[in-house]
Amino acid sequence: MVHQPRWLSLVAIAVVGMLVLVACTPATGPTASPAASATSAPSATAAPSDAPTDAPTDAPSDAPSDAPSDAPSESPDASETPATVGLQYPTDGGVVCRDGDTPGEFNGEEYTGNIESIQAPDDLTVVFNLCSPDVAFLQKVAFTVFAINDSGWLETNVPSGAMLTDMNGTGALQLDEWRAGSEILYSRYDGYHGEPSAVASAVLRWSAESAARLTELQSGNVHGITNVGPDDFETVANDPALQLATPEGGANLNTLYLGMNHNVEPWSDPLVRQAIAVGIDKQRLVDNFYPEGSEVATHFTPCAIEFGCEGDAFPEMDTETAIDLLDQAGFNEANPLTTTIQYRNVIRGYQPLAPQIAQDLQLQLADIGIVAEIEEQESATFIENSNQGLLDGLFMLGWGADYPEVTNFLDFHFGPGATSAFGDFYPTIADPLSVGNSTADPAARAAAYAEANSAIVAEVPMVPVAHGAFGNAYVAGVDVAQASPISNEMLARMAPPEGEEIVFMQNAEPGTLYCADETDGEALRACEQSMEGLYGYATNTSEVEPVLATGCEPNEDASQWTCTLKEGVTFHDGATFEAQDVITSFALQWDAANPLHVGSTSQFEYFPGLWGGFLNASAQPAPPE
Amino acid sequence: MIRFIIRRLLVSIPVLFGIIFLTFLLARVIPGDPCLVALDQRANPQSCALFNARFGLDKAVIPGVFREDGQLVLRLEQLPATLLDNQFTAYLGQLARGDLGDSVANRKPVTQVLLERMPTTIELTIYALIFAITVGMTLGIASAYRRNSKADVGTMMVANLGVSIPVFVLGLFMAYLFAVILKDSPIALPPSGRLSAGFRFDTIPEAWGLTELSGPPRSILDFLSNMYTVNGVVTGQFNLAFDAFRHLILPAIALGTIPMAIIARMTRSSLLEVLGRDYIRTAQAKGLRPRLVLFRHGLRNAMLPVVTVIGLSVGGLLSGAVLTETIFGLGGIGLVVYESITGRDYVVIQGMAIMVAIIYVVVNLVVDISYGFLDPRVRLS
Amino acid sequence: MTSNPGGAESSLRPVVAANAVAVGTSTTGARRASLRRILSQRSAVIGLVIIGFLFTIAIGADFIATHPPNDTMLRVEEGARPRQAPCIHILGCPADQPQHLLGLDGNARDVFSRIVHGSRTSLVIGFVTVAAAIVIGTLIGAVAGFLSNRTDGLLMRSMDVLLAFPALLLALVIVTVLKPTLFNAMIAVAIVSIPIYARVMRASVLSVREQDYVTAARALGDSSFNILRRRVMPNAITPLIVTGTLGIGTAVLEVAALSFLGLAAQPPLAEWGTMIGNERNQLFSAPWLIIAPGVMLTLTVLGFNLLGDGLRDALDPRLSR
Repeated sequence: MVHQPRWLSLVAIAVVGMLVLVACTPATGPTASPAASATSAPSATAAPSDAPTDAPTDAPSDAPSDAPSDAPSESPDASETPATVGLQYPTDGGVVCRDGDTPGEFNGEEYTGNIESIQAPDDLTVVFNLCSPDVAFLQKVAFTVFAINDSGWLETNVPSGAMLTDMNGTGALQLDEWRAGSEILYSRYDGYHGEPSAVASAVLRWSAESAARLTELQSGNVHGITNVGPDDFETVANDPALQLATPEGGANLNTLYLGMNHNVEPWSDPLVRQAIAVGIDKQRLVDNFYPEGSEVATHFTPCAIEFGCEGDAFPEMDTETAIDLLDQAGFNEANPLTTTIQYRNVIRGYQPLAPQIAQDLQLQLADIGIVAEIEEQESATFIENSNQGLLDGLFMLGWGADYPEVTNFLDFHFGPGATSAFGDFYPTIADPLSVGNSTADPAARAAAYAEANSAIVAEVPMVPVAHGAFGNAYVAGVDVAQASPISNEMLARMAPPEGEEIVFMQNAEPGTLYCADETDGEALRACEQSMEGLYGYATNTSEVEPVLATGCEPNEDASQWTCTLKEGVTFHDGATFEAQDVITSFALQWDAANPLHVGSTSQFEYFPGLWGGFLNASAQPAPPE
Repeated sequence: MIRFIIRRLLVSIPVLFGIIFLTFLLARVIPGDPCLVALDQRANPQSCALFNARFGLDKAVIPGVFREDGQLVLRLEQLPATLLDNQFTAYLGQLARGDLGDSVANRKPVTQVLLERMPTTIELTIYALIFAITVGMTLGIASAYRRNSKADVGTMMVANLGVSIPVFVLGLFMAYLFAVILKDSPIALPPSGRLSAGFRFDTIPEAWGLTELSGPPRSILDFLSNMYTVNGVVTGQFNLAFDAFRHLILPAIALGTIPMAIIARMTRSSLLEVLGRDYIRTAQAKGLRPRLVLFRHGLRNAMLPVVTVIGLSVGGLLSGAVLTETIFGLGGIGLVVYESITGRDYVVIQGMAIMVAIIYVVVNLVVDISYGFLDPRVRLS
Repeated sequence: MTSNPGGAESSLRPVVAANAVAVGTSTTGARRASLRRILSQRSAVIGLVIIGFLFTIAIGADFIATHPPNDTMLRVEEGARPRQAPCIHILGCPADQPQHLLGLDGNARDVFSRIVHGSRTSLVIGFVTVAAAIVIGTLIGAVAGFLSNRTDGLLMRSMDVLLAFPALLLALVIVTVLKPTLFNAMIAVAIVSIPIYARVMRASVLSVREQDYVTAARALGDSSFNILRRRVMPNAITPLIVTGTLGIGTAVLEVAALSFLGLAAQPPLAEWGTMIGNERNQLFSAPWLIIAPGVMLTLTVLGFNLLGDGLRDALDPRLSR
């Protein structure tokens, strides 16, 4: 029976030979140096994001008070300066702001950002000079992505990549250990500058299934869980051993909408879009597929956000009118409108039960004579199609607040820089938005957003459906049981009914712990426990409060913000917090040519989104033509 | 014997090569751009171009074949230029250096992910196998011994039921039963996780004072430390071993039920077949005690197909691990594989599939070798 | 045994070897005898009963179901809510409430009707995937068995590659490549199970290839195809049926697992795995949504497994009786 074909051994030898050969060929892998990739794209400039691996870490590691962040700008005397007095970024200034139609400029190239410079007149003061007023400044600096790291720590840990799995913040809890796949352990930081942690230690665990999270809670293995399933709200509320926590004031800072791309049939006809706006029974969706406390959306932006609900509201449901509008557009029983309902099956605050919502929509559309098929798309493909304007059906998508500000909702979707999801942008909506985001005057802003919202109702690029409520569940006796509208529950502020350790379970494991370059809420929550920004969000609300600053004061038109830093704050590794740390933490995100501009993907997505753009944007390797 | 092993290893090489090529190719044709997965709603053409260049995703996939807008495109004119400079050769080169690449999602080296996650899965698989073998063989023997009795039919019904219950249904219900309904009883078991939350313990290097150690020996010790029951026993932290063991009971049963049932059925039919042979009949005719006949003559000869099935079920266990780890919140490679498939993390998919395949090949090699011990005739041939 | 270097030995190999020798001619008498033997196997009978029951509801689904499977009760019945508990009038549910034997699902659809219609889906899945796998698998196995060592080696090594992947993982990747639909999930599961049938077939071919009557037939100039049809198939058919019957259960389970992960049947199609997957987080608030399809799924797989076991016991003469 045993036959040993000779060719097999030959193939084996060939394979081994090939492996050896390839192994000895230098640098063909993706980890290859920029020079290797340049062969395929000769026009590409050297990738500066690779720079830190090329540049040996000659930065002084002993003294955080040194000024190493200006390393690329060849100023040898700067490192001699003992104090940070007079420090600024960029070192020599030179940022030219955009002025009307004249584009901004830095280092001979276009600069689209809104930060002009960051200065430190002394160790405890940082001044942010902006190109145009930014009334959302405090909300932005309070965002976890802009938490402050020690500059010395960054210089050693960013080049080595250690910052992806380690944290050195100023928070009440310090990172003990990240047990990959299982849990993250924290312990109380004794040198904390504020109210000490209520618990000696904290544990963050995760499970993607809401049923599994609830089982863990009911079995007493964890003290708190995020995102109770819509149907489990009642279970939790009726269980005397458990308590339900919802955000204060019931603020649901997210929106599910039904998008329509007006560049394609049949959505190019405004009558059809208006028919959808009045043809959907939003109340039925909210009643049946959302947890208690969710609201029918009347505007794109939730009303809890200032200026969100200025202007016209979307009309009430009216089946007759819907059928009538469709009839005018040429669709009737004999010639029904056919389309698809496109969605992605992920659980978000705005769509806790996506497949069920899609299936109910299908039935609702049938009631106004629209024949719709359901098309579930893989999540990434769906986003890709949406961004490129390739979704030709009625698509279910939503948005959750990054920070509670109206621009985070409207500008991202309807501004001139928005994606093509709804087709070409509507100038009637975009124009008032550009007025609203460049003024600090409340009355002027209210007027601008009223105009924008009314234009949205008139144009119907999409139909807002619901603002989904969410709730966390805790075992009875946990104090304070938190539910943050922007998902930053602070473990240090919770105490279990007994013992000195709090155990909390979220949806998923963080990708990395370097939140400057993270967009994932699960990572942000893990970071927030140890990391702090100049400002932060008060427990259970979306109100900001000073944390590492004693305060940040705007000038008259909010185009300059002066932050006074708290004194005597130390990082977990013992380093002292000072102005240099703030500058470095911001500069490494801001300046694409900064040697520390490296993260898990080095995209720092939030920075250009919130502050307008990078310095030396071309230093991010140019996209191939 | 050594020649046999070497020959078997050599023959495994083309299989492994096939696996490497197949996983590589499958990973490239999965729709959905890894960049969009990583950046989600914040992705744009510039950031994606950057991202693809960073991970070498802009090169030819295999000579002359490019991936553009999610489609594979053949460009024959590029064939010579990309003969050696493409993603596949780059990948082979990496593999030869023992580098499985870095995760696209979080930049972690896949080898590190393996080191962190494999112990969980191996531990789970071993306990599931122990459960499957002991219970399965006992049931199978009992059933064959009392052929066609009520006990036999009953046992086989249980075994068949075991094969039939979906892992996810069994897992969900066991978790509910032992963690919630029996919450305060002595047989309450934790529904998920590897240890009680925040359980602090020493790793093996810590316990043995070897924290200075580095390099491969350190990796091996860390690997073993991460198998908590092993760690607990060798370092004498029995509370750790016990806690870890309690967490493993439910997932191991959920995962081991299907192989348990298969083993029970195979043991029974194989034993029945052997018991029908002449020499057994002779032994029985000689008046040997039935139990002696069964264990001394029957079982040993019936083991061959049973061992084969055990080897094969390792593959099934690794499949089942995907569902079991999802339900019981165990962060092993099953979960990583599922997440990286849905998250389009090519690099991780490839690395994991290759690892799993290697394990499979090795296990079956061991099975083949064990034939030799069970049946001398195999060794002769 | 050592000639299978990939190490991936089919679990059914010993049985196959046995069967290949055993079942030769198929006269009416022999057929009747094997039928009698099958019916004397308790497990086979139970399996047949279960499968018969499933076929009955699948065929009569339109009459048995109390509601259309995809219709929501929202706005149709007053006060209907998603995941309403079962209401059965003779068990004391108030008569003024509409009757739903197994309650309502997440979209307020009648679960009983969806379960009934789901039996169609599952039976189709089981038979079609296994049939496809058997056709392709036998073809590969026959070619491998008949042709040279080199082709044989190449084909069987490719089968080893397929086998070396855990089935669910490979299916997972295939489905993601092809786009997640029920049809593609069936293709994936079929591909994954091809190696088993290829091995069964190849073993059958090998077992008769060198036998005198085949050598004789060949010497007389009989074509390979004829040898395959007249000499090999009769030997291979029994192990193929046994393996196939057991395979149906596995196929149903694997497609259900893919559906559970949201990668197979798409809404609103009534499919048991999807029904469990969609509602898995409601295990505590509405357990019937999981128990009902779970029981049906278990029953289906059980039925085919019992039948397969019974067939093997009945048709394999080497098992002691």
